[in-house]
Amino acid sequence: MSLLSFCQWLSQTPLSIWLREAAYPFPVLLITHVISIALFGGMVVMGNLRVLGKAMRDVPVSQVIGQFRAWKWVAFAILLVSGTLVAMSDPMEYYSNVMWWISLGVLLVAGLNAAIFRYGVYRSVAAWDEAAIAPAGARRWAGVSLILWITMIFAGRAIAFF
Amino acid sequence: MLLAYTILQAHPEAIPLNPIARWEWVFPVVESIHICGFTLLVGTIVILDLRLLGLRLLRQSISQVARDLAPWIWTGIVLQLTTGPYLFSGDPYEYVQIAAFRTKMILLLLALIFHFTVIRMATAPSRDSAPLGWRRPAAVVSLGLWVSVMLAGMWIGNL
Repeated sequence: MSLLSFCQWLSQTPLSIWLREAAYPFPVLLITHVISIALFGGMVVMGNLRVLGKAMRDVPVSQVIGQFRAWKWVAFAILLVSGTLVAMSDPMEYYSNVMWWISLGVLLVAGLNAAIFRYGVYRSVAAWDEAAIAPAGARRWAGVSLILWITMIFAGRAIAFF
Repeated sequence: MLLAYTILQAHPEAIPLNPIARWEWVFPVVESIHICGFTLLVGTIVILDLRLLGLRLLRQSISQVARDLAPWIWTGIVLQLTTGPYLFSGDPYEYVQIAAFRTKMILLLLALIFHFTVIRMATAPSRDSAPLGWRRPAAVVSLGLWVSVMLAGMWIGNL
């Protein structure tokens, strides 16, 4: 089954029809989605700014990143569930929306970037935990993350524009 | 906001000349910056409030966390108070009639007042060694106010 025929099938399911036609599910889901982005993104961005030496320099890097990990995962789970439901409300529309695909792509790249940071340079965090500015190797990933997050917000907002 | 409204009321001919009213791509671009701003603001406020609740960053004193976050809270507020009124300037007569917009303005005012009075007192260095006490509910109120501002803000577009 191709992705297109999957979307066609999905858009005819009772859940998809309900999400699309009832008055409240869509705005509620969209608002939940944006709030979870702000929560998740906000905490990620503060971690990035700390690594870059632009925020909370008195607090060890591992504290700014590690202490909020559970909160980030919760916000990310809400983001994923609400985002999936929003997409399910009109699969055919999003299937042909280039900005939707760009948003998803940027999210995947950001995830990959975070994983490379976490299981790469971050393993040696003990050596630069107290440093006001992290080493260049770590700053690079944080800078990329920051740019990806801004791109994601612009692309996400643009979904409704296209 | 009031300033923008007063200016536009005195010069109604300025509205169609405003880039946000002339080109349809200006609004989503400025709105995206507005969303980046509130993402930043939420990130900083959540960190501060979780500290005030005694849930996170316990090795740092409250006043230190507040001092560290202050420049970014200010950046967020300034970003929001420039992009917000600009979004408003595109169609001011429409916005003032939307209940969600008026609710948002009241909540925003309350959130700002609360932040610069109660939260400022709660994060004073002289209180660092005192028990958290009333500062826990204050953190909950702060979080509730900022989230309500966002909720009302997003609802503007749905009505």
